[in-house]
Amino acid sequence: MTALAALVDPVTPFAAPFLARPLVLLVALAGAAGTVGVLVHVRRLEFSTDGLTHAVFPGLAIGAMLGGAAGLLPGAIGAALVAAVVLALISRRGQARDTAVAIVLTSFFSLGVVLVSASDGIAGSLSDFFFGRLLTITWSDLWVALALIGIAVALIVATAGQQLYAAFDPVGARRAGLNVLALEVVGNVAVALVVVAASASVGTLLALAVVIVPTAAARALTRSLVAAGVLSALFGALTGWLGLWLVVQLAALGLDAAPGATVALTMIVGYLVALAAGAVRTRVARPRRRGRDLAAAPLARTAAASVPRSHEPVPGTRADAAR
Amino acid sequence: MSEPPVVEIADASFGYGGAPVLTGVSFEVREGEAVALIGPNGAGKSTLLAGILGLAEHDARTFRVPTGRGEIGTLPQSSEIDPAFPVTLEQVVAMGRTPRLGLRWPGGRDKRIVADALAAVGLSEHRGTRFGDLSGGQRQRGLLARALASQPQLLLLDEPFNGLDHGSRDALLATIRRLKADGVALIITTHDLELARAVCDRTLLVNREQIAFDETACVLTLERVEAAFASHVMEIDGHTLATTEHHEAEHGVHHHHLLQDDLVQDHGGAPGADGR
Repeated sequence: MTALAALVDPVTPFAAPFLARPLVLLVALAGAAGTVGVLVHVRRLEFSTDGLTHAVFPGLAIGAMLGGAAGLLPGAIGAALVAAVVLALISRRGQARDTAVAIVLTSFFSLGVVLVSASDGIAGSLSDFFFGRLLTITWSDLWVALALIGIAVALIVATAGQQLYAAFDPVGARRAGLNVLALEVVGNVAVALVVVAASASVGTLLALAVVIVPTAAARALTRSLVAAGVLSALFGALTGWLGLWLVVQLAALGLDAAPGATVALTMIVGYLVALAAGAVRTRVARPRRRGRDLAAAPLARTAAASVPRSHEPVPGTRADAAR
Repeated sequence: MSEPPVVEIADASFGYGGAPVLTGVSFEVREGEAVALIGPNGAGKSTLLAGILGLAEHDARTFRVPTGRGEIGTLPQSSEIDPAFPVTLEQVVAMGRTPRLGLRWPGGRDKRIVADALAAVGLSEHRGTRFGDLSGGQRQRGLLARALASQPQLLLLDEPFNGLDHGSRDALLATIRRLKADGVALIITTHDLELARAVCDRTLLVNREQIAFDETACVLTLERVEAAFASHVMEIDGHTLATTEHHEAEHGVHHHHLLQDDLVQDHGGAPGADGR
């Protein structure tokens, strides 16, 4: 019985610093998912975010060449910021956003490959960034990542109203006097900073999951944007903790699973559960709505203006499907 | 002494860097006045509105428009908006405060202004409704409330009556009348001459150049509308109006006011119907 209790103990393993540090980082990333992730969702920047994860590659290579392991993070930050601005400018120049992202992704990634192939001895330290080093991050790595996440969240919180306006109606926002290009650059920079912070934990290849999956799961459960932000943060924190706990349990069983990938897969499973829960909720709510609509139909026919019957419809309905 | 006009433009041309799109424009809009901006597609109406907003270039002897953040409100055509975007009506209206707020978060006063804007368009009870779930007319009024939330001196309404049912159209007309009573200046582009007559004190008629600017009843004469809409077909209250030179010969009266009976309708039967 004692052995079983130890096996499922959700708290004690995190008293060890090597597990506490990644947990703190994943909780901070969950906060970013609830703010920056929501912006990515409403502005449909999922592919741009993917492009940014690839765009940090040449920065990593240049950083490693100039400063070894200590140069990785500054290099990644520099490349991500440049990519964030270039993405905003190219899409302004009349290129479709996906085309702009594909061009930036390809050119930055090719540059990284050329730099790595022309240098000796940096491939090893780069693999840390690609596949993550969740359990080996140091206190100084953690502070840098927390600072990056803090700046990103502050950028989005400070411009939240304007970001929402520009995402909802960019033409109207411009007519109202908002600097839509500046808002786009600020948004991209915030995403880039979170991507770099996530790269230090789960790796660049899985950073996308940390930014995008929590909001996608939250949106399956609610249509409210504010609720989606809160749910997204809770989802990120819960699945982050659960993923780390799984790593510990698998290690106890003798399985040395990659921690970053395990956390990402936990998030995906959580997303599937949220999708199922959303579908069940829709199925339960639909007959109730239909009944209400039928009861209101005679009244609706006589009403001059068409008034929607439901003030808070459930996910998975007509308008949701369009997204 | 009377207040200076909210908009005062004299001998202006508007364009986007190349040859001007619209020339010879001189007009003004006073506090509490609505000016109809009428002309066929491609006449330069949108360029004029863009010029007032500072989004198109202008060259003018006099050019005075409100320049402070949020002092000009705009109502786009609601078809430009993604109805699936996950926001409530109240969140959309609150967006209108952002030009005034800058990086400040909204306070109690801002929330009151948003609530007042919703009340002004008669949609208070729908504030929690998802924007995409509103009817077309309600969305249009919601976007008007967003423009009102910035407490503008000048409102630019671009085809606000397009696609509205009669109920929504009447509600919008009532809102426009209330705004005028509150001292807001309005410029309204429309193809609907009846609606222009219903709420607009003066009318600016353009077709790549200014054709007329005067009291609405004086501007909307058959002769002037034909000059503006030469070889164009326009719709009025769902009826197709063809303006051709035949009218001049058949009516013979050039300063006749354009009333519904004067229109050549696609249903036939009206005097001078040419079958178009």
